[in-house]
Amino acid sequence: MSAPRNAALMGRVPLLPTTVVGSYPVPEWMERLKTDYYRNRMSHAQLTDLHEMAIKAALRDQELAGIDIVSDGELRRDNDVDYFLARMPGVEIPQTAKEFYFDYYEARVPAPLPDRLDPSPLGLADDFAFTSEQTTGPVKFSFTGPFSLSRRIHDSVYTDRRELVLAIARVLNAEAHALAERGAQLLQIDEPFLAGYPDAVGTAIEAVNIVTDGVDVTWGLHVCYGNRYARPLWEGHYDFLFPAVLDANVDQLVLEFARKGYEDLPVIEKFGWDRTIGLGVVDVKSSQVETPELIASRIRSALELVPAERLVVNPDCGLRNVTGAVARAKLAAMVAGTAAVRAELAPRIAAAPAETSSEQPPETVARGA
Amino acid sequence: MLVDFRPHSRLRGTTPIDITTALVPVVEALSEDPGADGEPVDLSKVRLVCDWVQYKENFRDVVALRPILHRPERLPVGAPLIEQVGVREDDLEVAVDVRRSAKLPLKEHTAALLRDRAAGGTDGRVLLEDWGAGSRSCIWSFNARYWADLALWEKSTGRGYEQALPGGESDARNHDAARDLIRKLFAVWDPLAESGALPEELYVVELGVGNGSQAKVFLDEFRALDTEHGRGYYRRLHYLMCDYSQHVLDLARETVAEHLAHVSSFALDATKPRTSLGFLRYKVFLVYISNVYDNLPTDEVAQLGGRTYQVQTRAYLPADAAADLAAGVNTTPDELSALVHKLLRLGPALLAEAAPAHVADTDAAVAFWRAAWSAVRLDERYVPLAGLDLYELAPSSSGEAAVSGEMLRPLLESGADVRMHVNNGALASFVDSLQLLHPFGKLICHDLFVTDVAAYRANFRGPGKYDGSVVNWVNGPLLAHVGRRHGFDVHYAPFTHRSGGNIITMTAQVRD
Repeated sequence: MSAPRNAALMGRVPLLPTTVVGSYPVPEWMERLKTDYYRNRMSHAQLTDLHEMAIKAALRDQELAGIDIVSDGELRRDNDVDYFLARMPGVEIPQTAKEFYFDYYEARVPAPLPDRLDPSPLGLADDFAFTSEQTTGPVKFSFTGPFSLSRRIHDSVYTDRRELVLAIARVLNAEAHALAERGAQLLQIDEPFLAGYPDAVGTAIEAVNIVTDGVDVTWGLHVCYGNRYARPLWEGHYDFLFPAVLDANVDQLVLEFARKGYEDLPVIEKFGWDRTIGLGVVDVKSSQVETPELIASRIRSALELVPAERLVVNPDCGLRNVTGAVARAKLAAMVAGTAAVRAELAPRIAAAPAETSSEQPPETVARGA
Repeated sequence: MLVDFRPHSRLRGTTPIDITTALVPVVEALSEDPGADGEPVDLSKVRLVCDWVQYKENFRDVVALRPILHRPERLPVGAPLIEQVGVREDDLEVAVDVRRSAKLPLKEHTAALLRDRAAGGTDGRVLLEDWGAGSRSCIWSFNARYWADLALWEKSTGRGYEQALPGGESDARNHDAARDLIRKLFAVWDPLAESGALPEELYVVELGVGNGSQAKVFLDEFRALDTEHGRGYYRRLHYLMCDYSQHVLDLARETVAEHLAHVSSFALDATKPRTSLGFLRYKVFLVYISNVYDNLPTDEVAQLGGRTYQVQTRAYLPADAAADLAAGVNTTPDELSALVHKLLRLGPALLAEAAPAHVADTDAAVAFWRAAWSAVRLDERYVPLAGLDLYELAPSSSGEAAVSGEMLRPLLESGADVRMHVNNGALASFVDSLQLLHPFGKLICHDLFVTDVAAYRANFRGPGKYDGSVVNWVNGPLLAHVGRRHGFDVHYAPFTHRSGGNIITMTAQVRD
């Protein structure tokens, strides 16, 4: 966790910055083309070109919507797992053909993952560099965390599954160093499977701290209840994260609320989470577009528990499963709703005496005013 | 000319089809010079298709002529018509039911149809509607009327609808199947309970409850097995009976009277259950459906010669039957269509009040209804689709996007000729029901499923008539594909608790 870096990032964006969780809609035509690649109907160079054009379009959509911190939409990735496992040293994918691009690979580890790693073992740093060249604003770069990746690996090598999780974390740490060296400022670890294994939260947080070790960026940790095919994979409450997550070396906890309701927010505060919360205000599992008024009311409710300086406004999860039109409308509503709350806050912030914390530089407050 | 002889398995065996009497006369009729009556048929643009229509009561004449149109009805907005290259441009499909064709003077019959077509006639038919997608045909109004006035129909025929089912009994009543299902539920619930993740309320939804027998079997067995199991699940159980008809629900509630503390009933349309059950999104552990999907409206699509077509239909009454029917209700064939539609709108009891000059009482109205239903036939034609995206398979519902015709692409992309059901009603119901399921829930459906697209090339799969209702087999590969796109694995297996039937069990549960 790097409070100064987080403060620096937050200083580049307005109060209540808007962002996305990561993924962006994959249109039907693009799904067909991505599937064509797996049927040898499209070359890799063509697929790469397709991805790059799609990423540029996704960035443009976010910028037009007024999103403060944008992402590449994870559009190079077939799903939340395969892109990483297919590139991870020591992981084997026996069957690389797919019936549909979104299907998961069956991955396995025939031997312990190697200790000696290339500088950018997964090649994500190049992906980030491409994205950052396409925009002048802050970029969030997300990747799936070690616990969730481990759940999609058939493992007959590690006697203790925790060891596999930690080994994956070491690979991700090497990649995180490479990302930081290429200029990444905000990295997010996604753990979409963690909610299904609440007993494993200790291992997951231990692994998160290996990933973040020595990487001086703003770190986010996103935990949701799953979003595969726009469905929750699990049901439950966020209290399972505590107290373990308090030990996570991350700056932001990015959570799903809009679909589930905000009952868990007081719980998180009760356990003493004193860092930033990424507040899910858009339900990504529904095509119904929220109104700006609804978004604003959700933010206002959260502000009763969390100060504005510690809130980031985002959808519940990635937007992959809604259409482009719905995603654009939802983001526009999110930006408008946030702007309305910012406008309400401006006079109060202007009237308040200057107040600083270790995370909050004066310039951020001043910008909010 | 392309000849597609689908029931090829019947060319062998102890009583093989005699193809010379079943088929050759049709070819001879097609080859004849029509003389002064019109242009000869361009044999290079004819498809001759033979089916074995196993339903004794069905919508087909022995020989049917189906025009194949060349222009789509609808184009993308602002887009020109793209002429397809490398495709067959047939003009006409001649369809023969070879189960019945040997019993007719086939050549003469076919020749008469061809002459009438050349002259622009309709063979004296009384048309009940204009051309349209199959799911919009008035045969579905007949179907709805049957379920609404089931008691009157059963009184008239003297037998219950379950006796019309294969085996004379719904598979939903099977005790072994119910026990098997309940044990599987317990196997899911036990670990969830141990990790504190089992909700207090355990929801089970049944769509299409009939007389409530399935619900009673399930609830009786559930209570007994829960007593053995000792986890108190019965106390937490909520069984939701859902049906189109409040009358049916009232009867079903009587059947499950001893379990009423655990039963709720909802009158709803099976094609959009979430309009009433939206509050149960992601909360239901079991959605149970038996013999419903095959009775919901459906279109058909066809891939012919490299082009994709919608099969459009038009209900009619054949001339002879229309004349008899009209005479029986004191009217003329010209007036018959209006009277049929009035019957479908009002039902037989009210028709007797509204049209006493035609039907003296309810019994007479039911007799008219049954006779009209027996006589009704479907014309068919093929209309090209300009793009799969222009064809909506199921409408948007409760915030979910519509199911696009693009979902058909994997089933059609081989390019081989095939004609298949879309089962729009079943598809809508299925997609909407999936939204109800808890992450560990499952949907189980017993019905007539086609489990392989290739089966459409060999067997007739409907529509047929079961008493006063319509039956179509359900396109299993399409539901499986749509299920996958919604994150579900969909499996088909023969119904394991009764041998010798056609019933297939479909199971859908979250994948990955």
